[in-house]
Amino acid sequence: MSGGNASKNKARSSKKQEGWEEAGGEFYQELYPGGEQELFENLQRTDAAKLATLLPSKQARNTTTVKRARSQNDRRQSTFARTTQSHDIHLSMLPDLSENLSNEERTWEEIMQIKAMPVPMNQKRELKAKLQNATKLRLQGLEQFHWRQRKVWHRFRIRLGELLTKLELWQSAMREIEGKFGTGVVSYFLFLRWLLFLNIIISLFIILFLILPKTLLVEEYVPCDVTVTNSTECCSFAYLQKNLTDTNIFLDVLQGTGFMERTILFYGVYTNQIYRYYLKNFFEAEMFYNMPMAYILVPISWALLSLVAIVKTAAKGFKERLVENEGQFYKFCNLVFGGWDFCIHNDKSAKIKHKALFNEIKGCLEEERFKEEKLSRSRESQILLHLKRLFINILVFTILIFSGFLIYLTFNYSLDMLNTLSGNSETVVENRTHVRIFGMYRGGNNEGWFDQLHIMFFEFLPFICIVLLNLFVPEMFSYLIKFENYVPARVIIITLLRTVLLRLSSLGVLLSQIYMYVTENGQVCSYKNEDSTKLECWETYVGQQLYKLLLTDFAVQFLMTFFVNLPRAFIARHTSNKCLKLVGEQEFYLPKHVLDIVYIQTIIWMGSFFCPFLPIIGTIFYFLVFYIKKFTCLRNCIPSPVVYKASKSKSLFMSVLLLGFVISIAPVAYSIAEVLPSINCGPYRDFKTVWNFVVDTFEGFPFFVREVIFLLGTSTFAVPAFAVLLFFLYYYWAVATANRHMVAVLKNQLVLEGHDKQFLLNRLSAFIRHHQKRCERPNRASFADDDSSIRQSSR
Amino acid sequence: MGQGKSQFTEEELQDYEDLTYFTKKEVLFAHQKFKALAPEKVGHNKNAKLPMVKILQYPELKVNPFRDRICKVFSSSNDGDCTFEDFLDMMSVFSEMAPKAVKAEHAFRIFDFDGDDMIGVSDLREVIERLCGPDLKLSDSDIQQLVQNVLEEADLDDDGALSFAEFEHIIDKSSDFCHSFRIRL
Repeated sequence: MSGGNASKNKARSSKKQEGWEEAGGEFYQELYPGGEQELFENLQRTDAAKLATLLPSKQARNTTTVKRARSQNDRRQSTFARTTQSHDIHLSMLPDLSENLSNEERTWEEIMQIKAMPVPMNQKRELKAKLQNATKLRLQGLEQFHWRQRKVWHRFRIRLGELLTKLELWQSAMREIEGKFGTGVVSYFLFLRWLLFLNIIISLFIILFLILPKTLLVEEYVPCDVTVTNSTECCSFAYLQKNLTDTNIFLDVLQGTGFMERTILFYGVYTNQIYRYYLKNFFEAEMFYNMPMAYILVPISWALLSLVAIVKTAAKGFKERLVENEGQFYKFCNLVFGGWDFCIHNDKSAKIKHKALFNEIKGCLEEERFKEEKLSRSRESQILLHLKRLFINILVFTILIFSGFLIYLTFNYSLDMLNTLSGNSETVVENRTHVRIFGMYRGGNNEGWFDQLHIMFFEFLPFICIVLLNLFVPEMFSYLIKFENYVPARVIIITLLRTVLLRLSSLGVLLSQIYMYVTENGQVCSYKNEDSTKLECWETYVGQQLYKLLLTDFAVQFLMTFFVNLPRAFIARHTSNKCLKLVGEQEFYLPKHVLDIVYIQTIIWMGSFFCPFLPIIGTIFYFLVFYIKKFTCLRNCIPSPVVYKASKSKSLFMSVLLLGFVISIAPVAYSIAEVLPSINCGPYRDFKTVWNFVVDTFEGFPFFVREVIFLLGTSTFAVPAFAVLLFFLYYYWAVATANRHMVAVLKNQLVLEGHDKQFLLNRLSAFIRHHQKRCERPNRASFADDDSSIRQSSR
Repeated sequence: MGQGKSQFTEEELQDYEDLTYFTKKEVLFAHQKFKALAPEKVGHNKNAKLPMVKILQYPELKVNPFRDRICKVFSSSNDGDCTFEDFLDMMSVFSEMAPKAVKAEHAFRIFDFDGDDMIGVSDLREVIERLCGPDLKLSDSDIQQLVQNVLEEADLDDDGALSFAEFEHIIDKSSDFCHSFRIRL
C-alpha cells in the first residue's frame, strides 16, 4: 500500500484520461511483432508510475467500453465481447458461408444490448445503424417464427409495463414523498399499498364465496317443531324472527347493532344449509352450495394466502439482509456510495438529508470508537449502565402491566354502568330481550338522545381507553429509551418491540375479557328466552366488538391527524418561539406509523371470521389511511434526522406483520377448535365445535383418501418425514458453512494476490526507472546501486 | 403531447426506444421535461445543446451534491453541456429499468472526480465532503478515519484506491444503492 500509494498519487497529478489509452495502445500494438527487446524498449518509454493502469484487470472495463464505442470492423468482437461468447463458439462450427454473417435474431439481440453501453446516443445510433445495415442471414421456417414470436412478446411486455405503470396506484404521490423524505419513507407507503392489495384479494375471496351466495341463493324454510322446543331450528327461527325496534340508524351503524346485526356483515346470518339451486340454461341437474363448508374454507384460504404473501415478501427482504449482513463490513461503503437519494428534488429536504448523512457518518464513526472504548470502559460505568437498563426495563414492564390492568378495569366498569343503566329503565319485557349488557339499549322511543349517547359512551369506553393508551404510552417509551444509550439502529427495534407488546397485550386483555364474558353468557336458546343478559349469538357479538375497535382506531387516527397534529404543525411553522416550536414540530417517526397500519391489519385478521365484512371495510380504510398518512407526512411532519434505510425497513415491516398475524390467528384458531358455537345462528348451529364440522366432512370422504390422510398424521409417516427434513436442514447448513469458509479463503487469496501484484509492480517500476537512468548516464551505472534502489522502492 | 409528437419522427422514437430503457411515451415525456428547462431554445431545435447551468435547473439535479459530475459524465462533449440525447441517456441510466451493472458503471464515473479510472483517496474525500453538504464540515480526522474504513472494507488488493472491479463488487452487495441511485422521470 505504501509504495503503491506514492506512485498512484504521482499518476493522478499528471492528469491523464487518455494517458493509459495511448500507452496501452502502443503497448499492445508494438508488443506482438517484436521480441523481448522491443517490449523492453516499450516499457522504457512508458511512465513507470502508470504501469498499474496497463494491467489487464484494470483494463477490463475500459477495453470493453472503448472497443464497443469505436465499433470497429469486426462487429462480433466489438459489441459482443462480453455478452455472447457462447454464440461465438456455436458459430464457429457452422459452415463457411455464414461464418461472418449473423442472422436476424442475433442482430436484434445485439441491438437490444446497445442500451447498456456507456456511450453517448449518437454513437449508439451509429452502432445500431451499422448492425442493421450489415448483411445478415434471413431466418427460415420455424426459427423465423420463433423470432417473430419473441419480438412480439418483447413488444407486448413493454406495452404491458407501460399500462401497469399507468394503472399503478398513487404514483405521483409516491414521487412527491420520495422527493421530500427519501426512499426509506416511501418504502413505508409501498408497504401500505401492499396491505391494501392484500385486503382487496381477501375481500374478493369473501365476496365471491360468502357474500354472493348468501345474497343470491334462497334459503330453504325449515319449520320449527313446537314439540321439541330446544331444537336448533326453533332456536334460530326465534333468533331471526325477533323484532328489532330501532330508534337510531346512525348509532346502529357505528356499533354494528340493531338492523346491522342481521346483515351480511356478521357471522349470525350465514346459514347452516346446503343451498340447492338450478341453473336452467346450463345444466339440468340440481346444484349444491355448501355454505358451512365455504365458511370454513374461505378463512383458511385467506389465512394461508396472507401467510404465503408475508413469507414470500419477507424472504425477499431477508435475502437482501443476508447479503448485507455478510457484508456487515460494507457499512461504510454503503453509506458513502449509496447514501444520497438521487430522487430528492426539494431544497429543504436536501439540506435535511445532508444533515442526516452527516449525523449518520458521525454516528457510525462514534460507534466504531464506542466499540473500542467498550473494551476499555471502566467496570463501574458498565455496571451503572446495565443497572440503568435493568431499571428502565422494569419500569416499561410495570407500565405494560398497568395499562393492561387499566383496560380490564374500564371494561368491567363500563359493563357495570351499562347494566345499571339498562336496569334502571323501565321497559316492556319483549323489548328487553334485546338489551344486552354490552349491547345497545333500545328501550323505546321515549328514551332521549342524551341517554343514548350516555350508553354509547360506555359502549365505546374500553376502546377509547385502548386507543388512548396506544397514543401516549409509546411517547413515554421513546422518552425512556434515551437513557439507555443504545446504538441508533437498536433504538428503533427496541421501541418498536415494546410498542408492539403494548398494542397486542391490550388487545389480548380485551379478548380475554370478551372470552370470559362469552363463556359465561354465551349459550342460550333464543326460543322463549327472556333473560336479556344472555348473548344470543356470541360470534356476532365478538364481530361487533372488533368492528367497533376498528372504527375507533380509524376515527382516532383521523382526529389526531387533522385536529391535533395539524394545528401543532401550524404553530411550529408560524412561530419563532422556541418553546412553542418544541410542542409543534413533529418528525415522521417510522416505527409508530408502521404499527398503526399493522394494528389495523391485526384487527382485520382477528375479526374476519366473525365479521366477514371486515376485510372490505379494511380495504376502504387502508385507502383512506393512505391519504391521512400522506397528509401527516407531507403537511404535518418534517423529515426525521434518522436515516431510514429502504432495504432494512422492508424486512422489519414484514417481521412485525408476521408477529401480528400469528397473534391474531391464534385466538381465532382456538375458538374454531374449542369453543361451542352458538345454537341460534351461524353455519355451525348443530356442531360441538366448528372443527367438528370439518371432521364430519372428512368422515364423508372416500375410504382411500381418508386412509391416506390418516396415515400422514401417524407416527409411521411423521417420524421418517421429520428425520428427512432434519437431514436436509443439516445438509444445507453444512453447504452454507462450507461456502462461507470458501468465501473467506478466496477473499484472503485475493488480498494476497493484490499484495503480490503491488510488490511486482513496484519492482518493475523501480527497475524501469533505474534502466532509464542508466541509459541517460550509461557510464556511471553500477549494479550494486540498482539493487539497493529497487529494494527501497519496493518496500 | 401532440406538441412533442410533431418534433420527432416515428423512426427517431423507435431508435430511442431501442437504445434506452424507455418506451416511446416516456421518451416524449422526457422531452417535455427537457423542453421545460429552456422552452425557447428547445422549441426551435429539439436536440439543442443546453449549457450545464440550464440542465442543473432540473429539480433532482439542482439539489444533488454530484450534479456537475453527473452532467460531465453524460455530456457528449465532456464539458457538462447536454443535448436532449445526453439528457435522455442520463434519465435512462437513472430509470428503474436500468440494471445494476449499468448504474454501477456510471456511478463509478461520477465518483471518479479526477478521471484516473480509480476512486482514490482524494475522490473519496470529495465524495464525503459533498455528501455532508456545504454547511456541515466533518473534521479532518473524521474524514481520514472514514476514508480509511471505506478502503479497509472495499480495497481488496490494498493499493489505496478502488478499481472498477472492486467498486462493482461493493455495489453488488449494497442493497441500498439500487434504491437510491434512481431518478423518477
